[in-house]
Amino acid sequence: MRFFLVLSLLFFVLGCSFERKDDKDQANKKLKYWCAPNPEEIELAKILVDKWNRLHPEIQVEVQPLPAGQSSEEVLLSAIAGRTTPDVCSNIWPGAISEYTKAGGLVALDEFEDFDSLVNARRIPVELLESFKSGDGHIYQLPWKTNPIMLLYNVKIFKEAGLERPPRTYSEFFEACEKIKQLGIFPGYTDIRPIWWQRFFDFYPFYIASSGGKTLFKGENFDIDYNSAVKVFEFFRTCFKMGYFPITNFQVDPFLTGKVAMRFTGPWTIAYLERNKPDGFEYDFAPIPVPNDHQGKVYTYGDPKNIAIFSTTKYKREAWEFVKFLVSEYSDSLLLEICNQLPIRGDLLENRKFTGYFNRNLKMKVFAQQTPFTRGIDSGVEMKEIFDAISREFEACAVYGVKSPEEAVRNLIKRSKIILEWSK
Amino acid sequence: MVKMSKVDSKAGYFMVMPYLIYFAAFIAYPLIFSFILIFHRWNIVTPMEFIGLKNFVRLFKDELFFKSIINTLIFLSIHIPLQIVIALFFANLLNKQIKFRSLFRALYFLPVVVSSVVVTILWQQMYAYETGLINQVLSGFGFKKIPWLVSPEIAMPSIAVMATWKNVGFYIVLFLAGLQSIPNELYEVAEIDGASSFQKFYRITLPLLNPTVVLVIVLSTIGGFSLFIEPYILTGGGPLDSTLSAMLYIYNQAFYFNHMGYAATLGFFFALVILVVVIAQRKFIEREVY
Repeated sequence: MRFFLVLSLLFFVLGCSFERKDDKDQANKKLKYWCAPNPEEIELAKILVDKWNRLHPEIQVEVQPLPAGQSSEEVLLSAIAGRTTPDVCSNIWPGAISEYTKAGGLVALDEFEDFDSLVNARRIPVELLESFKSGDGHIYQLPWKTNPIMLLYNVKIFKEAGLERPPRTYSEFFEACEKIKQLGIFPGYTDIRPIWWQRFFDFYPFYIASSGGKTLFKGENFDIDYNSAVKVFEFFRTCFKMGYFPITNFQVDPFLTGKVAMRFTGPWTIAYLERNKPDGFEYDFAPIPVPNDHQGKVYTYGDPKNIAIFSTTKYKREAWEFVKFLVSEYSDSLLLEICNQLPIRGDLLENRKFTGYFNRNLKMKVFAQQTPFTRGIDSGVEMKEIFDAISREFEACAVYGVKSPEEAVRNLIKRSKIILEWSK
Repeated sequence: MVKMSKVDSKAGYFMVMPYLIYFAAFIAYPLIFSFILIFHRWNIVTPMEFIGLKNFVRLFKDELFFKSIINTLIFLSIHIPLQIVIALFFANLLNKQIKFRSLFRALYFLPVVVSSVVVTILWQQMYAYETGLINQVLSGFGFKKIPWLVSPEIAMPSIAVMATWKNVGFYIVLFLAGLQSIPNELYEVAEIDGASSFQKFYRITLPLLNPTVVLVIVLSTIGGFSLFIEPYILTGGGPLDSTLSAMLYIYNQAFYFNHMGYAATLGFFFALVILVVVIAQRKFIEREVY
């Protein structure tokens, strides 16, 4: 008898608690948001989420930095496999999108009725938005921020070498290198390790610039611009062969210590240089050099990171409202102020909300001017292995000079085709 | 009587159960699963996709995989002879009546029991171009620094030397056991006949050690084919893919690019290569001894 009494009491207590939990769920929808794990973006995410939670007591958001792992892409893939994805994530690399969609992990954002109006309000360039479209014609990522790769140079060394302005073409670049070399300084530097993502800072931005804004794919087909790729390999081959770039890696930043006069990097370097630069150190940015016969605007790699909603979300509509908040003018101005990263929007330099920031940060203005002329990464499959193949050819042709540029591009095409044929 | 034997056999099954469970979970299941993977494309996340023989089509077009096999063979061609010569030399020394013999035997075996990762990191620091101990000593004697791990020509031999240092202790023990099994009478007779030390070694020791030599060659071939930790930590497969071993390439395909099916295909193919090489070695080296 006592046993049944205890059992019924237990059922009663549990029943009450479940009921209460359901009520709580109804009244308070919870979303989980993963941001990039760097301190600036965590700070930004916390401020934005605090504000959102105050404005929307019925939809509470919990922010969490992306869990530690070898890369964000691996963490997200594992999360999709384990169905432990957040509702929203703002560190989506477009090159991995096809793997996420293939796994059925993402919500198509263009199916929300106000998607077009949001994109129009941000004045995102049409061709840039098109480049984020997946193979099935849907858009699973909202363009959020960009970090265009540009030429960083040491102003003082340039003056000492008698250079009045940064080089615009390959010939000007080599002339500048010759003058800087005479000072006993390495004119330029790029990391020679054959790691796939390292090519986002040398081969890929130079290829986009040289080809006038082309990426590696047309639709689902590998369609590298042969001549442009040859020119870029030739350019880097000359840099290493002539001793303009050292074939070594440095323990301490060679640009800050004045051992190297030029590098290729993004706007995040400004905060780093400002924190660590010695007294009197002057630097500036310029567009990526292009072949001598280049016509038109100079494009570069934009290193975009986008926002996505995962299909595990219980509250699709609410997650979309939160995403809209993340890309509002208010959030974008905080992205600039706190992270020194550029929102992907067409009105960066015209919108009054951002004027103050760019007047205070003149160097960021150079990047903002470059923003409309950036390209991302194709959302095709096997991007990681294709960039790995580029890295191998870069090492063989440019760094060690054991292959001609033509041979390197032919090998790259051959290997990419084998990889893609297999993956179809 | 019949009843008794039935009870016994049930108890027997129960007794071997731990091994059967171990075999099923860690040998049979992974093997069968890998075999199934050969015909599939699978990146762990998306469902497995049947692709027939596509993995094999890619394998036969994959120049990098064949380069990695050639790299592994280059490694073996340096590592195995070096290992045999050094192991035999030290086994001979340690077989003689010398002072601190037990201490030396233990010392030579020490690298075998130390973690490969620790040994590799240690050698990485010794091989460093600018700050490495070996180059500092060379510079001290007025020699040029050697790009141990940065030169595509020298990197693989450097790894082979390191691997030999790590494993030689194990083979010394094998050779010691082999040497001790040679009857002393044979040497005594040879001495009476006036044989020199070299003749005794060449005519008695070496032929009678043939089974041990075969064992050492087979074991170090199989061990050498699974070369992974050293290039993974020291060079990552570079420079110019000169130290990209087949195992490292298979690992990259599986866990770097998430191509589980393709990696399983490479794994089975590579196992076949090892089998062929080992059979060939036994055919050409193994001799009847008395």
